[in-house]
Amino acid sequence: MQTLKAVAREGRGSRLSRHLRQKGMVPAIIYGHKVEPRAVALGGHDLELALHASRLLALDVEGHTENVLIKDVQYDAFGTKLLHVDFARVNLDERVSVTVPIILRGKPTEVGAVLTQVTNDLEIECLVTSIPDEIRIPVGEMKIGDVIKAKDVPLPQGAALLVEEDVLICTVSVVAEEAEAPAAEAGAAEPEVIGEKKEEAEEEEAK
Amino acid sequence: MALMPKRVLHRKQQRGRIRGQATRGNTVSFGEFGLQSADSGWLSARHIEAGRVAATHYLHREGRVYIRVFPDKPTTKKPLETRMGTGKGEVEEWVAVIKEGTILFEIGGVDETTAKAAFKRVASKMPFKVRMVHRRHGL
Repeated sequence: MQTLKAVAREGRGSRLSRHLRQKGMVPAIIYGHKVEPRAVALGGHDLELALHASRLLALDVEGHTENVLIKDVQYDAFGTKLLHVDFARVNLDERVSVTVPIILRGKPTEVGAVLTQVTNDLEIECLVTSIPDEIRIPVGEMKIGDVIKAKDVPLPQGAALLVEEDVLICTVSVVAEEAEAPAAEAGAAEPEVIGEKKEEAEEEEAK
Repeated sequence: MALMPKRVLHRKQQRGRIRGQATRGNTVSFGEFGLQSADSGWLSARHIEAGRVAATHYLHREGRVYIRVFPDKPTTKKPLETRMGTGKGEVEEWVAVIKEGTILFEIGGVDETTAKAAFKRVASKMPFKVRMVHRRHGL
């Protein structure tokens, strides 16, 4: 488990957070276990690397170390800059509910088959120390008309499904023929104007 | 056929201004890869259609293309060699108002190399700068 150094934040609010970000820090919060939430700040670069490595971290906040789970990560409008991170306090023997990405491996070999992934993440409950990075599902053997549901997903040992068993994960279907576009755009028919016809009808009635 | 609304409240609209960045529609939601606008502007129904055709032709029945924007704003134009005045021109085309950061297209069911090549073709049809982004999985 990776250990990151954090400093306690005195002030709150967007202005102070913006100043922190300008210094290369990322504001964050630690909450959970019925203990008062603690506002902290971490080095942006180290945190970015840690986010890609694991969900479970040890945070060293001014000498006091806490085991935390990454709960939420906020990015800017472009999805590139880290804005804020939520950490939840956890014990290492605790079971937690997490969302794990589903990765489909392989391609259906049948001619004209199109694989559509309906669900991209799966919510599971497992030990905090054994959270899988991803769940891989082999789809190379699938035929047209086959579906994979949540109950068919191979879960890691000790993990339990938290969604309905019938939730659709992926399907294999036939490519729909693309409808031929009309030769000319037929004068590009105008949309109906709401309320216009009513007025005309009222005028006619008045006459 | 070009995209346009079925029903509208008003036949013509004022131009408006585009301010700020997209706070909605800025994450990849349906496919695995997305094409994100790096600038703001109007994206006409013709641009969207050109992008869709470029992507689907390149993918050649593989994967799936999602269009994340819809042209719901009418733009007008006066006829050529017309004197100013005499009211607003006629509706010429329908556009989607795009703020920077908006996801325009998404592709799913193909590998990254294929999606990148498809988006490169779509990008050449777009009236502003775009970039390819990946889906960010939940926690």
